[in-house]
Amino acid sequence: MNMNTKTIRLSAIALLVAALAACSGPQVRYGDAKAVETVNANYGSTDLQMIAEAMTRSLLQSKAISGSKDAPIVTLADVKNKTSEYIDTRVITDKIRTQLMKSGQVRFAVSVSEMQNQTEELKRQNQSGLYKNSTIAKTGNMQGAQYRIEGSIASIVKNTKDVKDVYYVFNLNLINNESGLLEWADEKEIRKTATR
Amino acid sequence: MKKTLLACTGLSLVILAGCATKPPVQVAESAVVGQVPADPPKNPVMTAEALKSASKSIAVTDIYFKKEGKNLTFIEETRITTDNSITSTIAPKKIEVDADKANASAITGGANSSAFPVKFTNLADPKSTSPGTATPPTPVVDTAPPSDNASSANTQSMKKSGYQSNHEYGELRYLANPIRGLLIKSGYKVVQAKSTPVTANQGDEYFDIVKRIKAGDFGDADYVLYGVLAEISSTDNVADIPGTKSTSQQVTLEVTVDFNIVDTKTTQIVASFVASGEGKDVQIDGRDTSHKPSMAKLMKLASLDLAEDVRKHLADQNFITNNPGSAGQVRNLKRRLDDDASTLKVYK
Repeated sequence: MNMNTKTIRLSAIALLVAALAACSGPQVRYGDAKAVETVNANYGSTDLQMIAEAMTRSLLQSKAISGSKDAPIVTLADVKNKTSEYIDTRVITDKIRTQLMKSGQVRFAVSVSEMQNQTEELKRQNQSGLYKNSTIAKTGNMQGAQYRIEGSIASIVKNTKDVKDVYYVFNLNLINNESGLLEWADEKEIRKTATR
Repeated sequence: MKKTLLACTGLSLVILAGCATKPPVQVAESAVVGQVPADPPKNPVMTAEALKSASKSIAVTDIYFKKEGKNLTFIEETRITTDNSITSTIAPKKIEVDADKANASAITGGANSSAFPVKFTNLADPKSTSPGTATPPTPVVDTAPPSDNASSANTQSMKKSGYQSNHEYGELRYLANPIRGLLIKSGYKVVQAKSTPVTANQGDEYFDIVKRIKAGDFGDADYVLYGVLAEISSTDNVADIPGTKSTSQQVTLEVTVDFNIVDTKTTQIVASFVASGEGKDVQIDGRDTSHKPSMAKLMKLASLDLAEDVRKHLADQNFITNNPGSAGQVRNLKRRLDDDASTLKVYK
């Protein structure tokens, strides 16, 4: 009888512990978004931050931007991904755009990828007949960008049994839309080596 | 002692009184004309009423135009010559054709030559070709067979055909009003001009502004602004909008006008330029929705745009200032009023 009671008690405790363990799930904690990430040698958040910061600083010092009386209007064009990895290059240009906007030295016109929303909004306001005429954002008054930002990211990857070496080079250009002249260009190089 | 004190006091009072009545030193008004970047405080003396009464007057004509057309003309002339007299019967036939079709006709060996089953030779008769561009004719002369009649009457039948150029002259009445408005805002008195009636067989003397000035068509205006329509065109284009699934339909009305301003006293041209205006209707996906633009709206936009271009040219040529209604404009106007109107001055 005593033996049976002991067995039941032990089983109940074991079951409770198992149930608690099952309910606890994975552990979550916040980290520093700007902390250096070295999980592997692939393109990562630190690379994105380094590129954006370097390019923004250089671009703001360029004659086209710093020497302009009024904040010039710029638009984002393509940044081509020439690496073998999947890299969302739009995130890079968006980050650069955010930092440039914060500086107040540049204004941005909607880029090609944002035109669908812009067109639909203009169409809604101008052609639906629902809006008061004096408040309508009229078709034909969009401002053209003086400059466009475009570039590319490329990589060279070398592997041995124990070592993986990755070299990234990010190029960014500022082009005068009217003259077609390249007003500014810079590059950011990153080398990452992973060893086992 | 008292007398000395009184004398000194009296002298001091006289000196003080003299100082008080001394007129203030006049500062010469800077004669700044032309483009004035920043206006100093406005001159309170130059009121709107004073401006109105003192300003120069200008007459603005409606926009003249000359339209060229072509008519296909075919004349049969029968001429009977007797011993004593010549009797001529002319039977003209006229077919109106578009200028472009006419240009592509048999005269030029164009593709549409078969559309007109007549032998094309240009008209010989100056009455029927004037004002035309005819080349020397090759009339077809059919001589009738000799008659048995003893009275020896001779019958000749001539067939002449070709294109007769015609020109239509007139005035466009709806383009000049915004220009009149800007001149009024610039301080000019705008005088109503008489319209020009078109006469029979009107030629390019229709544009003879000096003749009209001498005829008193512009009253006592100091200047006459007149424009001749160079071209008016309408386009309807559809283009893709990159990055979207939409298209934009753009219907555009463009006018180009050749302007001159003539001093009515000296007939000197004091400003001359070509101005253009554009009215545009942009509709997103307009072709898909069969959108029909309003031509009245386009005409209004084109006339306003034309007036704006006229304003820029007049300012470039120092006929008005860049900022109508500004103090700089008032000073310019004052300066202009003081000028001898018979000379053209270029201000810097």
